Amino acid sequence: MILLAVASITLLAGAGLALGLRDNVHRGWAAIAAQAIATGLVLSIALPVLLHGGDLRHRVAWSYPVESIAVHLDPLGAFFLAWSLPMTLLGTIYAFGYLRPYFRTRNAGVQFALLSVIALSFVLVYTLESAFAFLLGWEIAAVAAWLLVVWDYRNQKIRFAGFNYLVSTHIGLFFLLAAFMVLHSRTGSMDFQSFSAFLQQPSRARSIAFVLFVTSFGLKSAFFPFHTWLPRAHSAAPAHVSALMSGVIHKAGLFGLLRIILLIGQPEPWMGWYLVSFSAASAVVGVLYTTAQRDLKRLLGYSSTENVGIAGIGFGIGLLGLAWHEPALVALGFAGGILHVLNHALFKCLLFYAAGAVYRATHVVDLERLGGLARRLPWTAGFFLLGGLAISALPPLNGFVSELLVYAGLLSPAVPAGMPRAFLVGAAALLAFVGGVSALAMARAFGLTFLGSPRDAGVHCEGEVSRWLRVPMAVHAAGVLVLGLVPAVGLGLVEQPVRLFQALLPAAAPIAGLGPVQVLAPVARLGLALLAVLGGLVLLRAALARGLPAKRHVTWGCGYGAPTPRMQYTGASFSSQLAGVFYAVLPHLRRERLPEGPFPEKAGHVDTHCVDAVEKRMFEVIGEGDDLVTRLAPRVPVEPGVSLGAGLVVLVVAVWLLLGGGVR
Amino acid sequence: MLLWLAHVAALLVLPFLTVGVVNRTKSRWAGRKGPRLFQSLSDCLRLLRKQPVYSATTTGIFRAGPLVLLATTLVSAAMMPVLGAIAPVSFPYDFVAVAYLWGLGRIAVVLSALDTGSSFEGMGASREATYAAFVEPALFLALGTLAAATGHGALADLVGLGARGPAQAAITLACAATLFVVLQVETSRGPVDDPTTHLELTMIHEVMILDHSGPELAAIQWASALKTTLCAALVASILNPLHPADGLLLAAAANVALTLLVAVLVGFVESLVARLRLRAIPAYVSVATVSALVALLVTAWWQGNAR
Repeated sequence: MILLAVASITLLAGAGLALGLRDNVHRGWAAIAAQAIATGLVLSIALPVLLHGGDLRHRVAWSYPVESIAVHLDPLGAFFLAWSLPMTLLGTIYAFGYLRPYFRTRNAGVQFALLSVIALSFVLVYTLESAFAFLLGWEIAAVAAWLLVVWDYRNQKIRFAGFNYLVSTHIGLFFLLAAFMVLHSRTGSMDFQSFSAFLQQPSRARSIAFVLFVTSFGLKSAFFPFHTWLPRAHSAAPAHVSALMSGVIHKAGLFGLLRIILLIGQPEPWMGWYLVSFSAASAVVGVLYTTAQRDLKRLLGYSSTENVGIAGIGFGIGLLGLAWHEPALVALGFAGGILHVLNHALFKCLLFYAAGAVYRATHVVDLERLGGLARRLPWTAGFFLLGGLAISALPPLNGFVSELLVYAGLLSPAVPAGMPRAFLVGAAALLAFVGGVSALAMARAFGLTFLGSPRDAGVHCEGEVSRWLRVPMAVHAAGVLVLGLVPAVGLGLVEQPVRLFQALLPAAAPIAGLGPVQVLAPVARLGLALLAVLGGLVLLRAALARGLPAKRHVTWGCGYGAPTPRMQYTGASFSSQLAGVFYAVLPHLRRERLPEGPFPEKAGHVDTHCVDAVEKRMFEVIGEGDDLVTRLAPRVPVEPGVSLGAGLVVLVVAVWLLLGGGVR
Repeated sequence: MLLWLAHVAALLVLPFLTVGVVNRTKSRWAGRKGPRLFQSLSDCLRLLRKQPVYSATTTGIFRAGPLVLLATTLVSAAMMPVLGAIAPVSFPYDFVAVAYLWGLGRIAVVLSALDTGSSFEGMGASREATYAAFVEPALFLALGTLAAATGHGALADLVGLGARGPAQAAITLACAATLFVVLQVETSRGPVDDPTTHLELTMIHEVMILDHSGPELAAIQWASALKTTLCAALVASILNPLHPADGLLLAAAANVALTLLVAVLVGFVESLVARLRLRAIPAYVSVATVSALVALLVTAWWQGNAR
């Protein structure tokens, strides 16, 4: 416990030095050194807990009204600490390289200080078990993330994105506060352990608290439909901030969800169904948005909504397993979900770092203007490709391992036969759709950015980025490969956290350990077999070439002799067919002035943008809500579709009020 | 070991034979004599001896694509029930691995198409990726339903549902129908795609590989022949009334015969049905999805009653 305190103080000192030192280079080094020391200290106590289990508890007396703070490090908190702090350190190293061009003109100390503060908030959130202290850590992370986002505050769009994020995250905080207040009113305490005693018994207050918690943590982790702040914030922030927010900071929401599940112990089945459907909707909508974005970082932001959805499906299966007393489901669901959290952090940071490297080299993140960067940025291209394949859950990379576990949970024979099984098979089909669309989106993003020829002559590429940017990418890429090729490493990391959830099952149920997961062990050999076969084919191909140099010619243009780079397939056209089918979710704004007449004098232009349907509707309702009602009201008696819908809404509300009044 | 040998032998012969049977069926319908049954093998061997030409726009990804496609298809072949309800490599939920391996192969070819910077190949890549995304839920619904109905997760076990009762027969038929459509989409067969067309604007798979030549083209052609066989064998093993327990050789022979029968059926459809408009393909795929959903609901009803 002393070590945790020392680590926190080191981080604070690092933040202070980053603000106080006179030179940006020294500020950066101070932050990196402080974080390295703190990471070492935290890992030295978190890793034993994570690998061998156990509980570290401590109580710190504090002044009124907090009175005492319970410090509790269990394998779940240790799991999140074990990768959050090292990844924040890597992010700080990346920030050093990324912000270097501004070192002469701007004070980068604020960024370095805030990165250290973010690391401090992880130590607080993942170890403290008092609602007050938890909220403090939560709020530190939120405000620090906001300040990190608005680094380029002179740009009005970025200020708006930051403000949007700040408002959203505080709406989430209200839900969290409401949930804690409900629990405090029932228990008279702010301690998680005393909440637990109340949460173990089914009651109406428990259900309300559960829904409030899921909403709040859903907002934090950007589940659909609470994701509207995310694409804006992620495209506005510097690359290291986008990476850390998406990969690491917002995983606190998922941690909160897991912590609440641990406190609840014996959930009701509806909680599991609620989480599964909520997450599945998140995954599907999130992935659909990734297909149509022009802005590379916005695209990656939406894929966070998709991936937290996949992890959430895993947690939902685990909850169902707890409700049905099925140890196999508990193991598969939580192992898949928790491992996916780590995997997502690995490949999402990698992708954001690569996108940041593209921005550093070209000052553009618009897919329609990029192209052919693989020749100029070979390292970045390789890292982005690796991350893109991993995020599409393709073998032999790490995303596949965790998604396979989630699939195994969804399709498990332990699910009760009949409708539950049918629903979960349906969810597996949705997950397959998500995988297919995600592959499309990543092929599009990588293909447009790095392959073909440059689309815009005005974009100048400065050449490969510095080592400060490449080293963090290389570390993340190594993680993606290791967890993919040696799944045992990942499973070893999640084993103790999963045991915590299995321990919630009643004593009669057999403790299975990771037994159900071990069934999937052959998948480890799959990756090696794939690499071996591929290696063999490459050798065979080299033998067939007989050392002759390959002939080079132009791309076959189907007989057309004067192609230009502008004629390449564009991002909008690549996704147009899918976007056409899902127009309701993916509305496109189209601005155009077409050339007129057979010999047009003025050049025309077409500009399409995919806008967020939820945000569009939200602004519509907020901005012109009464207008909407006035416009809709006369249509009710005339149009059968509208009147039927209105009648249905009234009916649902009436029935809900009746039933709600009848229960209590 | 014997199983491995038989599996490998079947996979060496069957792919080219399946393609030959499809082509022979089509030529018979058209009143032609048609090419030799193993013509596609000769084509592949001829391509292997040729020196390829690469576009100057391309990078290493262009050359790696076909090899990755072939490697993924070869590895997935080890898990497929080519000789009845049995496969040399089998573990729970291996069909997820198969589907994602195919996904990796697909993305490799899509990327190598985008690597050329050609708008035609970009168009083909976009179509391939889009229809693959549409067909994926149908594939998982069908296989997931079979897994739910049999209680087994491994591909080689879940195909052995059979038709012992009316419910099982309905599930088997509906899933086989779904997987037949999956075959047509995954392997670019009519009425979804026309493998013989020469108009770039209408093609899906063929337009993606316009720039590939020589050994790379051979790799792609072998991989797609292999994939056709694997899909056909999957449909065949679901419909196969014989189980390896009834006699290994007999079941394997029945499965090979059924695979070729599926190939004949593919040829029939391609000869008799006009190619669909691209816009109608999602609707056609949704027929497969609905068919699998029916199978899923029948399974839920049947198991719910049995409980």
